[in-house]
Amino acid sequence: MIKENNIKLIFLSLSLLLIILIFFFPFFWIITSSFKSPEEIIATSTTIIPRSFTLEHYNKILFNSDFFIYLKNSLIVSFSSMIISIILSVSAAYGLHKLKFYGNKFVEYSLLVTYAFPGVILLVPIYLLFAKVNLLNSYFALIVVNVLFATPFAVWMLKAFFKLIPNEIEEAAYIDGASRYIVISRIIVPLAAPGIASVAIFCFIISWTEYLFASILISGDYLKTLPVGLAGIVGQYQIDWGFLLSGAVLASLPVILLFVFIGKYFVSGLTEGAVK
Amino acid sequence: MISVKKNNIEGWLFVSPLVIWISLIILVPIYIAFELSLFNVKIIGTSGKFVGIDNYIKLFGKSNFLNASLNSFYWIIGNAVCQTFFAFTIALTINYKFPGKKIMANWIILSFIIPTVVVVVIWKLMLSSSSGVINSVLIDIGLLDEATGFFSSPNKAFISLVLINSWRWSPFLALIILSGLNSINREMYDASKVDGANFVQQFLFITFPNLKSVLFVLGLVGTLLSFNIFDIIWLITKGGPSSATTTLPLLIYETAFTKFRISQAATLSIVTSFLLLLFSIIFIKSMAPKEDD
Repeated sequence: MIKENNIKLIFLSLSLLLIILIFFFPFFWIITSSFKSPEEIIATSTTIIPRSFTLEHYNKILFNSDFFIYLKNSLIVSFSSMIISIILSVSAAYGLHKLKFYGNKFVEYSLLVTYAFPGVILLVPIYLLFAKVNLLNSYFALIVVNVLFATPFAVWMLKAFFKLIPNEIEEAAYIDGASRYIVISRIIVPLAAPGIASVAIFCFIISWTEYLFASILISGDYLKTLPVGLAGIVGQYQIDWGFLLSGAVLASLPVILLFVFIGKYFVSGLTEGAVK
Repeated sequence: MISVKKNNIEGWLFVSPLVIWISLIILVPIYIAFELSLFNVKIIGTSGKFVGIDNYIKLFGKSNFLNASLNSFYWIIGNAVCQTFFAFTIALTINYKFPGKKIMANWIILSFIIPTVVVVVIWKLMLSSSSGVINSVLIDIGLLDEATGFFSSPNKAFISLVLINSWRWSPFLALIILSGLNSINREMYDASKVDGANFVQQFLFITFPNLKSVLFVLGLVGTLLSFNIFDIIWLITKGGPSSATTTLPLLIYETAFTKFRISQAATLSIVTSFLLLLFSIIFIKSMAPKEDD
């Protein structure tokens, strides 16, 4: 017994070390690098502990670039996509979970297939469709697409959370004469709040990180989102690393902040409910 | 009693907003793509003449289509292998008790929640041939004699991209595997211990079989999701060097938006959807876990 435990301990420490090196170290690296002097970032000999400290890159990106325009666009698109996705998917998930109707299995399977539906196949025709109906270069174009990508998985997760709510609570409310609307708004939504919060983060992340459609459907500089703006710097022949790194850190900050507050619901939602 | 009887009108009322939204945004474009594939349209907005199935016939004779299909195939296999390894390592590790376990479980998916563009920035910097930290570490520990370009040769570029993409997705998959692990009855492990099973046997005979349905969903959805990857490849190698990293999504993008062959791109899209549909049906028919499992 003791021997087996030792082997386990060695395995555990090794894989922990590996995970920290591979999955956490890169973040340490770009955050510290974004405060290094331009010379140190591109120096051929690298040291783990930074030797210089400067705020010039942040200065440049905050006060001397279109960062705030892109940030505003990203926030508008992501929040709108998140709210629309939540409304549509709470309604659909409740319908699929509680109301047995003709075709409910078909809708459920179709959603699973849609979740994995390769967006790139739709790229050309959506571009043409939006050109026809004059939706190119608008926030709405991006919101329409983001909702499409976020909702199938959102419904899947929400259904799992609704299943955790005991049926008796709902039945009791109906006996007391409550309407369906009252039951959903006063019982289901509050009880599933942590679940809904984690689904909301998921929808926000999907929209916040979307690049492909944003790069094609938007051509005006004033409507570009953060990923597209950053990609513009990545594509330049001479990369200004400090500028790019500070931009990357700032573009990740909003999702990270969101995650600080409701991330644990997201993770426990995924690990405890999602696939049962 | 309300929930037991069939509730057709109310049920559809609840799901129809989403169903209508999704069907409009998928079915209308697919119809447009199909129509386009029968014409000879080049630049967006111009009209072309009707060519029937000509585009389809030409497509199969094109070497870039075959090359991209093969690349997509290798891409899916490579990602499946790497992500399975990383995801299981993470999931099994986090499943143990150790100090800091909660923090690690919460923050392991950092690589999944940041924008893909940031993933690209991180690895472009870390893997840079002139000043990348990976190169200098590999030289310091004697694995390399001089700095290497991780994206300079076809094979190195492909492997580097597979690893970067796996870095992004594995933690998310790990959490889903973890949800499967959580649903396994603890008593089964205790009982097997009494019977003298070691932890390799426990993994093979308890953990793995009980994850079947989770793995089925991951196999299906994961394959389609890795197929779909565009931005990581495009932003790092643009499909190069010498088309070694041009997968089908990149080919569709290039054909439409850099070569301006809209009808060809539409044809590619239709053929690709057909291939994926075929894959999904075969996968579901052959791998779907039985209901009683």
